[in-house]
Amino acid sequence: MAFINKFMLSGAKDSLFRLFFIITGLITFSLITLYSISDNPLSFNSSFYRQFIFLIFSSIVFIIVQNIQMKTVHDNSTIIFIGTVTLCIVPFFLAPVEYTYRWIDLGFFYIQPSEYLKCATVIVIAKYLSNHQLEVKDNSIVLIPSALTLLSALIVLNQPDLGTAVIICAPLLPMFLWAGVSNFMIFLMIAPVITVLAASNIISFTIWAIIMLIFFLIFEASILTKSILYFANIFTGLLTPFLWNNLAEYQKQRILTFLNPDLDPMGSAYHIIQSITAIGSGGLFGKGWGLGSQTQLKFLPVQESDFILSVIAEELGFFGIFCVMILCFLLIKTLLDIAFRSSDYFASLVIVGLASILLSHIFINSAMTIGLMPVKGLPIPFISAGGSFLLSCFIMIGLVVSFSKN
Amino acid sequence: MLKIDNKADIFHYRALLFILCFSLSSLLGRYFYLQVIEHERHFSKSQVNSVKALTTYAQRGLIMDRHGEILVDNYPTYILTATPYELKDRDEEFAKLSSIINVSAEELNRKYKKFYRGRFLPTTIAKNLTFQEISQIEEMRLEFPGIQYSRSDERIYSPILNDAHFLGYLREVGRDTIPKLDKKLLYRAGELIGWQGIEKEYEKELRFSKGIDYIEVDTYGREILRLNDSNIPAFPGENLSLTIDANLQRYCRNILEGKKGSVLVSNVDTGEILSMVSAPSYDLSIYRGETLDSEWNNLLKNKDNPLLNRSIAGLYPAGSKLKLITVINLIEKSLVDPSDSLMCTGVYIPPGSTNEFRCWNENGHGLVDLNKAIAQSCNIYFYETVQLINLEDWTDTAKEFGFNESTKIDLPNEKNGLIPDKDFYTRNYGRWGWSERGVLLNLTLGQGDILITPIQALRFINHIASRGETPQLRLNISKEISYYDKIVYTEKAWNHIWDGMFDVVNADQGSGWRARLKDPDIKLLGKTSTAENPHGEPHAWFIGFFEVEGTKYSIVVMIENGGGGGAVASPIAGDIVSYYINSFKSLAKN
Repeated sequence: MAFINKFMLSGAKDSLFRLFFIITGLITFSLITLYSISDNPLSFNSSFYRQFIFLIFSSIVFIIVQNIQMKTVHDNSTIIFIGTVTLCIVPFFLAPVEYTYRWIDLGFFYIQPSEYLKCATVIVIAKYLSNHQLEVKDNSIVLIPSALTLLSALIVLNQPDLGTAVIICAPLLPMFLWAGVSNFMIFLMIAPVITVLAASNIISFTIWAIIMLIFFLIFEASILTKSILYFANIFTGLLTPFLWNNLAEYQKQRILTFLNPDLDPMGSAYHIIQSITAIGSGGLFGKGWGLGSQTQLKFLPVQESDFILSVIAEELGFFGIFCVMILCFLLIKTLLDIAFRSSDYFASLVIVGLASILLSHIFINSAMTIGLMPVKGLPIPFISAGGSFLLSCFIMIGLVVSFSKN
Repeated sequence: MLKIDNKADIFHYRALLFILCFSLSSLLGRYFYLQVIEHERHFSKSQVNSVKALTTYAQRGLIMDRHGEILVDNYPTYILTATPYELKDRDEEFAKLSSIINVSAEELNRKYKKFYRGRFLPTTIAKNLTFQEISQIEEMRLEFPGIQYSRSDERIYSPILNDAHFLGYLREVGRDTIPKLDKKLLYRAGELIGWQGIEKEYEKELRFSKGIDYIEVDTYGREILRLNDSNIPAFPGENLSLTIDANLQRYCRNILEGKKGSVLVSNVDTGEILSMVSAPSYDLSIYRGETLDSEWNNLLKNKDNPLLNRSIAGLYPAGSKLKLITVINLIEKSLVDPSDSLMCTGVYIPPGSTNEFRCWNENGHGLVDLNKAIAQSCNIYFYETVQLINLEDWTDTAKEFGFNESTKIDLPNEKNGLIPDKDFYTRNYGRWGWSERGVLLNLTLGQGDILITPIQALRFINHIASRGETPQLRLNISKEISYYDKIVYTEKAWNHIWDGMFDVVNADQGSGWRARLKDPDIKLLGKTSTAENPHGEPHAWFIGFFEVEGTKYSIVVMIENGGGGGAVASPIAGDIVSYYINSFKSLAKN
């Protein structure tokens, strides 16, 4: 118990120590699972072997990154951002890889620049917010960070890669919150999204309209501004189903395909059915390592990356998933702790942004395996196989370690 | 500078912590619901039944001629597949199968290994099964765990056009080729794919889109329930109408029976190809997979190369039709007066040389002007006049007419041919190994290193017939018309060429008089060529065009090692044109 207490409530040095154990835990889960699903784990082509090689490579990069001075990152953040954005535009001028413009072919390795654009966007926004700390209560402070995020997201969306575009947007609001942007402003940014989502159903829309009304009454602003904004929201909500229904079937389909270009032509419903069966059949303690029938009979699609949690759920049961989720919780909480304790405003904002990225990956990936979200090829940090993503996760942690030294 | 105190608020920290706890615990809740509360249901489903996705197929598009006559049709057969991990004892099952169907166990094993895709995926092991065989297998269902059958169509060809090269054929997709194919079309090993000709060129249009039937099966692979709601239907491929006129194609094919060569007929105004014959040919249905290896080897080793589509991929010296290239250069640059005459004594000795160059008419043509030179294909006239032209101008003109490049016809594997230019000669003969004057003597006769395909000759004649602007040649009738780059020359140049070509066929001494039409109202304009080559007798060429009811048509006849263009190719061209005009008339009468 004393150990747990020490583990949970400790100083900055111990936080890094804790981070190390959590990530080792996640990687252990990853390797165990990949070993189980590889037909021949020690052959050069197996996902286990490849992941192992990527791990060694990523660790080296991690050691380099954690030695970079925070000041260097801070001073060069604009250059880093512009450079990464340029890299993301490069694939549009190259031959498409599998019908998308996501990758740059380096001959021996594909890199996906949008993986690194996530970090670069966080860094540049953190710099902007920390430089304008005094104007933070001024509502116009949200403009430039929002514009930068939208720019990055739009480029990535055109690649097309909806998943990463969503991830790029994810850190914006937590960072605003952390920076101390007024709650009213943050609420205004969330409200239209929820309005459009709630508009599909009359009951959900009514409830949302009431909640919104309460919020608008609480916040301080002129009555005129508040009522204009409130009714603008309501109006948008009322208009949404009308506009949607007025579209022809093929136009709707086109919008849906645009939003989700990965939509599997063979039917993603089939994948979700298989994933849910695999998860549900695992039970409390699972069917045993290497014994999952859904997994081993390859009913389960993309099991080494997108659906790796389903493999864990089938073979190691709810117990395995519980452990993974606890590790994920500890990972994000540790990052928040480091951010909270950090004496530097810039560092703390960057860490919060990176934590938001990791959390959105965890949430979207898990929600997909249990059918709460449409199939979207987003991996889960440190567990899914895949070199580019693993590398970007290690770079993020490297930045956190480097920044927490201040 | 950098050191600004962190102002993070405990309220903000708690808000983010709350979001973290909320999102992860809602996920855990859902996992708990599925894994603990609904466990029984999912577990039994995973043990006993599994949802299988069965691929369903539809018809491949038909190929028809311009009048709607079906050239390529489908007929239904059944294929047998084996799913490796469901097989109890492969050798025993295959042995039992071979007693029902007429295929040896070794053959089944060979196919099984060839098309193997993974332990859990069905592998095609036999094709072309009859309904009776399938019913027998179905009766003994339980003795064949892991064996399934499904419908699959094979191609069947219109009996008389079963050997038209341009149609192409289908082939089974092998494992090694899959990565190179269009992923969106979802090929699997053992399926059929257009491999040559129209079948390949229009694979995307002709191919059906696959569907999926989701069914729940028990451990024996028996169907329990069809999950119709999530099924995706299969759609048949598009039918394709070709520009080919089946009757004309048949006539041309028969006329080439026993010969080697190619015949092309096209509509000059639209670029539509009415007939494309390459002889010798072979029966396309050999690709269905029942052909014996020995027959195959015969076909591959046949020195007449029946597998080659000579019309687009046969390379031949052009012969004297390229004299017209010289004519254009002479007129455009006003290098000679067309009415001036030269003396042809049958021999030409270039200045400063002792080599003798001979006319095909060893007695000489006497006095020859431009028109007579074209009509009687006098070599001496062109030997003399080509000396006035630059090599570069000559090759540029030839390239302008589309030699040395693809005609962009909608067929795969077209050859580009060769028009040698300065670089080519220097590369192959060395800087001092050739002279411009010397090679021009060869080029103007379309000899030397020049190589062209019959379809390039067709493009050449179409350019002439349309006086410069002609649509791209095509086989798909609904393909949009697009034009080749326009060739601009003075009317004078075109007039001289037309006049010369008129006399080739219609003047008494014309080299192509044998192609003259019986119908006095319709005039065929043409040019013969006799292309010398190192492989034996010269190739006989005839290219020409004529106008019926306001529409221009063109024809190219090439008989490999046939002999003289005038004696061999011209009468064939005349017959084909007469046949086509007659069919026009009989159509008008009806």
